[in-house]
Amino acid sequence: MNLKLAWRNVWRNKTRSLIIMASVAIGLLAGIFVLGLYQGMMRSRVRTVIDTEVAHLQIHHKEFKEDYDPSYTLDQELISKNLKKISEIKSFANRSVTQGMLATTTGTSGVRIYGIQPKEEIEVSQLAFKIKEGEVLNPSKKNGILIGKKLADKMKLKLGSKLVLTFTDRESSVTSGAFRVNGIYQTINTPLDEVIVYINRSTLNEYLGLEDTSHEIAILLHRDEDLELVKNSLQAQFPRYSVMTWKENSPETDLMVGTINQYSTIIIIIIMIALAFGIINTMLMSVIERTREIGMLSALGMNRKKVFALILTETVILTFVGVPVGFILSWFSILYFSKAGIDISPFSEEAMSSFGFTSIIYPEFPVDTMGSVLIIVISTALISAFFPSLKAIRLQPADALRQ
Amino acid sequence: MNTVIDAHQVSKTFNPTTIPILAVNNVHLHLERGEFTALVGPSGSGKTTLLNLLGGLDKPDKGSIFINGVDITKLSPNALIDFRLNNIGFVFQSFNLIPVLTARENVELIMQLQHKDRREINERVETLFREIGLEDKLDTRPAQLSGGQQQRVAVARALASKPQFVLADEPTANLDSKSATNLLDIMAKLNQEENITFIFSTHDVRVIERARRVITLVDGQIHSDTAKVSTEVPHTAQKRTP
Repeated sequence: MNLKLAWRNVWRNKTRSLIIMASVAIGLLAGIFVLGLYQGMMRSRVRTVIDTEVAHLQIHHKEFKEDYDPSYTLDQELISKNLKKISEIKSFANRSVTQGMLATTTGTSGVRIYGIQPKEEIEVSQLAFKIKEGEVLNPSKKNGILIGKKLADKMKLKLGSKLVLTFTDRESSVTSGAFRVNGIYQTINTPLDEVIVYINRSTLNEYLGLEDTSHEIAILLHRDEDLELVKNSLQAQFPRYSVMTWKENSPETDLMVGTINQYSTIIIIIIMIALAFGIINTMLMSVIERTREIGMLSALGMNRKKVFALILTETVILTFVGVPVGFILSWFSILYFSKAGIDISPFSEEAMSSFGFTSIIYPEFPVDTMGSVLIIVISTALISAFFPSLKAIRLQPADALRQ
Repeated sequence: MNTVIDAHQVSKTFNPTTIPILAVNNVHLHLERGEFTALVGPSGSGKTTLLNLLGGLDKPDKGSIFINGVDITKLSPNALIDFRLNNIGFVFQSFNLIPVLTARENVELIMQLQHKDRREINERVETLFREIGLEDKLDTRPAQLSGGQQQRVAVARALASKPQFVLADEPTANLDSKSATNLLDIMAKLNQEENITFIFSTHDVRVIERARRVITLVDGQIHSDTAKVSTEVPHTAQKRTP
C-alpha cells in the first residue's frame, strides 16, 4: 500500500513532478554525455599515443633514458629473434635515439633525433600517414631528414632545405652532419612535432660510431589487453633491459586518463547536487501542502517509520522515473555523435593539439562508469529524501490537524 | 458496563511561555463502554483540545488519561501511535480521506497498518461498507463522493481497526441536513447494535438531541454533565442517502 500511495502521491501535481523528472533526465543526460565526451577524448588520445607515438611497449638499456648516452645499446639481434616468436606482437621497430641541436641560417632548436628503418617504422608508428609534404625517408638517401610541420614553420624550413644536426657520439665527441629536408610530417601532438626529427638509422649510427644496433625497440601488440602479459614475459626474458609500457613512457597521458575520470565524476556530482536542491524543494512543498494529511495518517496510527518510508519512496520514485529517460537519451545522443563526431576546431584546435588531442571528438558511452553514476544518483535520491522525510515525521498530529 | 476512558485532573495550556491559554482546566471524565456522548460548548471552550487529549493526539500538561486501564500520558510517542491504531477511531470535521486512494483503499489502509491478512481485510471492508450503505462506491475516489458519503467512509475507516471508542470532531459540521441525519443514524445504529462507544464534539443540535449524555465545556472546564433518562437511541431516519 505504501508503494501504491507513494506512486499516486507523486502524480498529485503532475506538472511539478514532470518538471523534476525532466530535470533528472536532462541532468543525467548532461552528466553522462560529458563522461562520454571525456572518455572519447581520452580513448582517442591513448590510441594516438600507442599507435603513433610510443607504441605499446618499448625496450631500452636500463640507463639509457637517464641521459641518452649513445653507448647504452641493445642486443637487437637476440631481442628481435625472440620478439618474432611472440604471437601477441603485431610489429616492432628498432630505433637509434640521441638528442642534439638543429641549426639553420635562421637559428637553432633542440631536437630529439630518431634513427629509423622506414619500412619497419611505418608498421609501428604510422609514419607514412603523417607525411604532409615530401615522402618517407629513402634508405638510399643518407642525408634525408623528416621534420615536423611545427619545427619547419619555426625554423622556416621547406622541402629540400638544408640544415645541420649537432650531437655527441659514443666517445662523447661533438659531431655534426648536414641534412636536407626530405619530408614534413604533422601529427595532432604539436609539441612533439617541434622536437622530433627522423633520419635513417644507419646514418645516425655512423655518426654515433655504432655498429648495426639500436637504443630502443618499439613494440605494437594486436590487443591492448595483452600489455601487462607481454611486458612481464619480455622483462623475464631480458632482465638486463628495461621493458616499459605506454603508461610509463607517456606518464602524462596515464595521469590525464586518471584525472579526467575524477573530473567527470566531480561534474556528475555537481549536477546531482544542483538536482538535489530541486528535488528537496519539490518534496518539501509536497510535505508542507500535505501537513494536515500526514498529521491525520499519524493520528490514525501510521508510525514514524512508515511516514518516513512513504516520503522516502515518493522521493525515490520522483528521482528514478527520470533516470531511465536520462540513460536512454544519453545513449542515443552518444551513439549519434560517436559516428558524426563533434568538431571543436573553431573554438580550440590549437589548444587541443598542444595537449595531443584531436579537435574532432567521438564520444563513447561510458559503460565502465555507469555503476558510479548509478551510485551517485541513488545517493542523490536518498539525501534529497532525508530532509522532507524528517520534516514529515517531526509533525505533531494535533498541530498538523489544526492547520 | 466497563470503563473505557478515565481522565483525572487533566489540564492543557497553549503558549505557556508567551500568552498562556488554558484550553482544558482540571477536567475529570469517566466514560463507559457503549456510551453515545456529545461534548458541547461555545467556540474556544476546549472541546477539540479535550478530544485530542483523550485520543492521544496531544499530551496534557497535568493529569492522567487511562484508556482501558492504560495511562496514555506515560506512553512513548511510538507506543502512543500503536495504541491509537489499535484502540481509537477518529472522524474529523473535514473528512480527511486520502484523495489519491479509493474509498475501499482508505479503509483498508488502517487494517494494513495493523498487518491484518487480506481475507480478514476484505471481509471487514465488505461489512463496513454494507453498514454505511456505500457498497457500490468501494472503488470511487473521495473527490467523486458527496460530503455525506465521504464522512460515512471516514466512519468506516474509524471503525476498521475495531477500536475501543470513536472520537468524532464536529462530524456533521460540513454536511447538509439530510447527510448529517443519515450519518447520525449510522453511528447510532453501530452504537446500539455493536456497542461501539462514540464521543462527539459538536455544536449541532441534531447530535446533541440524539446523544445519551451531554457534557458541556465552558472555558476548558466541565460546566455540566447530563445523562438522558432514555436508554433508547433515537432513530429518525431508516433510509440512507446515497
